[in-house]
Amino acid sequence: MSAETTTRERFQTEALGPQQVKGIYIERPTRNAAVQGYVPDIIKGLGKTIGHALRNTKDMALGTRNDPVLESISDGINTLSYPEQKRPYPERFRGVHRLTQRDDGSPRCVACLCCSTACPAQCIHIEAGDYEGDQKREGYERYPKRFVIDEIRCIFCGYCVEACPCDAIRMDTGIHPAPYDSRDQFLYEKDLLLAIPGRAGDHASENPRVERGDPEYPGIDRDHGH
Amino acid sequence: MNEWLETLKSSSFLIPTIGAVKAVAICMFALNVGVILTWVERRLRGMIQDCIGPNRAAIPIPGKVAAVVLALGPGVTVAAAILGAAIYLDSESTSNPGWGMLFFQGGVFVTWLTFAAIARGARKTGATNAIEKEIAALGSPRSIALVGVCVQVVLFLFGLSPAYTGKTVDFIFAGGAALFAGMLFAAAAHVAYRYSQEKTVRLTLLGLLHPAADGLKTAFKADFIPPKGDRLLYNLAPWITLLPALVLLAVVPFGPTMCFETDALGNPDFFAFQGLEMAGQRCSSASYSMMVADLDVGILYFFAMAGTGIVGAALAGWASDNKFSLLGGMRAASQMVSYEVTLGLTVVGALMIYGTVRIDEMILWQSENAWGIFVQPLAFFLFFAAAIAETKRIPFDLPEGESEIVAGYFTEYSGMKFAMFFFSEFIAVVCSSTLLVALFLGGWHLPFITGNGIEVALGETVYYSSSFEPRLIAALGVLAFVGKVLGVCVLQVFIRWTLPRFRYDQLMRLGWRKLLPASLVNVMATATIWLAIDSASEAVAAKMAWLGQLSMVFLAALGLAAFVGLVIYLFIPSDKRRLVVNSSARFAELMGGTQEAKLEA
Repeated sequence: MSAETTTRERFQTEALGPQQVKGIYIERPTRNAAVQGYVPDIIKGLGKTIGHALRNTKDMALGTRNDPVLESISDGINTLSYPEQKRPYPERFRGVHRLTQRDDGSPRCVACLCCSTACPAQCIHIEAGDYEGDQKREGYERYPKRFVIDEIRCIFCGYCVEACPCDAIRMDTGIHPAPYDSRDQFLYEKDLLLAIPGRAGDHASENPRVERGDPEYPGIDRDHGH
Repeated sequence: MNEWLETLKSSSFLIPTIGAVKAVAICMFALNVGVILTWVERRLRGMIQDCIGPNRAAIPIPGKVAAVVLALGPGVTVAAAILGAAIYLDSESTSNPGWGMLFFQGGVFVTWLTFAAIARGARKTGATNAIEKEIAALGSPRSIALVGVCVQVVLFLFGLSPAYTGKTVDFIFAGGAALFAGMLFAAAAHVAYRYSQEKTVRLTLLGLLHPAADGLKTAFKADFIPPKGDRLLYNLAPWITLLPALVLLAVVPFGPTMCFETDALGNPDFFAFQGLEMAGQRCSSASYSMMVADLDVGILYFFAMAGTGIVGAALAGWASDNKFSLLGGMRAASQMVSYEVTLGLTVVGALMIYGTVRIDEMILWQSENAWGIFVQPLAFFLFFAAAIAETKRIPFDLPEGESEIVAGYFTEYSGMKFAMFFFSEFIAVVCSSTLLVALFLGGWHLPFITGNGIEVALGETVYYSSSFEPRLIAALGVLAFVGKVLGVCVLQVFIRWTLPRFRYDQLMRLGWRKLLPASLVNVMATATIWLAIDSASEAVAAKMAWLGQLSMVFLAALGLAAFVGLVIYLFIPSDKRRLVVNSSARFAELMGGTQEAKLEA
């Protein structure tokens, strides 16, 4: 007796969890005449279903149905008609990769192969090359001649992003990989990866890159050697 | 012209032709309501379980074409029809107060509905032109609708008041017709404008195209026949199930019997309408009833035909060469036989009171005294339960219990043959609802509507009366009948989505040990009470008549309360709470809601 009372009291008084939800204590059904008579309970049940149908039909007819994302805790229809309607992916969702760009449009990637080394699925293929005829970068930096990600092999773990020392590869596009007809189409080449914008719509990353020759450049360069 | 009419009238083909047209019309009614019911069932399932339901089938129509075909065309046609009717009524000098008020109310209704819809559209997706901006500035859609409904209520009360005579009638008549037609045209023009702005308009008809697409699909599905099954019976079974369901409605009158003058051949002269057979009026000359077969056996025909439905299910189970099918067929046969007994016995009480087996005369009795549900309340519930069991639907759908016997007697059926079983079930629902309405819910009768108009009378005192064209009252009767049938069908769909399935022994126990004794008790009680009242004094008869009128008042009040309640319910704002805690919701909020596509469905 006491245990039951305490459970009931706890449900009715305490607010539980981060959302501070108060519970409703539902009585165990008893076998009284109304239940055994079947008809009163049928009418009660019908009232419940008809109530739902009326409420939702009214919402549909008046165009006041829930926004399935913003008002998802309200009673009513919370269905998303995918793919016409889409739930936006959360901020930290790991989507299709992109290669970030410098101000002049060249890739920030220096072809250090950290990402392809870290990749557990071994889906990144990089061919490094030297900048030729570029006074500022020749002899200091390399660039990826080819940069290919096999998006069907990728497991979207995000280790490549973690491994990158230059913030050159990111997965913040908010795009999930589309299904294609053939495996070739899943091979994303450098040009495509450079062309995919981030969530903000641009090709830069949030970390500013200080180029060689800028006054606040921290490292060594041609004029100020060791 | 007259000569042609005379030849037509004297032609011996006229009556059979009209009979055939009626038969086709009633078959089409059963089939179409069957289709609509499949849609209602799926869509209501969605609404009950808080999701949208099937609505994805659509016909894409180019915006410019849709503007003309879907908006401007129908709008102009209806507006012209209203103006034409008004001019015709005026020339016939029948511009009575009722018509004027009807036009004006229609005009006001279309006006506020259009304004509210435009205001809502402008709030949701932004105004696209100056007129929309002006209308949206008037107020919220809710307040516009509220003002509109208030105006309509005031108009209604004004129409009842003695001030509504003479010059006001003329003004309301002309103004109402002009407003109605003008606003319909304006609304159509606005919709046409919105359509023409869009590249394609997806015509979904609220999702009604979905069952149509499904039906079309079944026609192209593979038609499997079990190699060791009985080929002939296997192919015959769906037809034996479907056809009885289609001919059931032949003896049900869809509206009041119409009286015509008798022509030289003894047939009704369809160009000399005399009145309706309603509440105390009987045809003195030729009559024409709104049923296909004017059979004296009436309801007995209905039961005879409904009984043959068992054969189809049993044959399908036998011919499929499948143990599950056989079990399903056996279950179907035993269940339908069991419940047919109750079904027949519940009607016996009603037959005693009505004193006839003809359904049209039963409805006449109900229109003169009281609806069957008041004189036979127990029989109504017993009949309803037995009728659901007869149609093999949840909670009595043991013959197709998926959890035990796959799909019962149609396990082996596919394609169109499966669709025929599926469909005959829905047609059976329509038929049982029709019989329920005819026996217990007054058929085409509405309280206080007589053969000549509306007359609210209690005893000898007449509180309100106004006359209407009898042919319109006949049309109203048909509408009332169809409306009641649809209402009972929808109630059956609600029951289907509310109750779980019985166990087989529970089903049999309910049928033989509860419903059957209850129906026998009902017969006994009815006979005793009926005999007692029949042999009682005049005073008791007068008391019964008074009770009958009270039941009509109750029904009218119930209808009015339901209508007012519905209107008030529509104005109660829905309680929506926004919850924006995660980044996903924040992104959605930045986009202005999940509005990549409009949230209408």
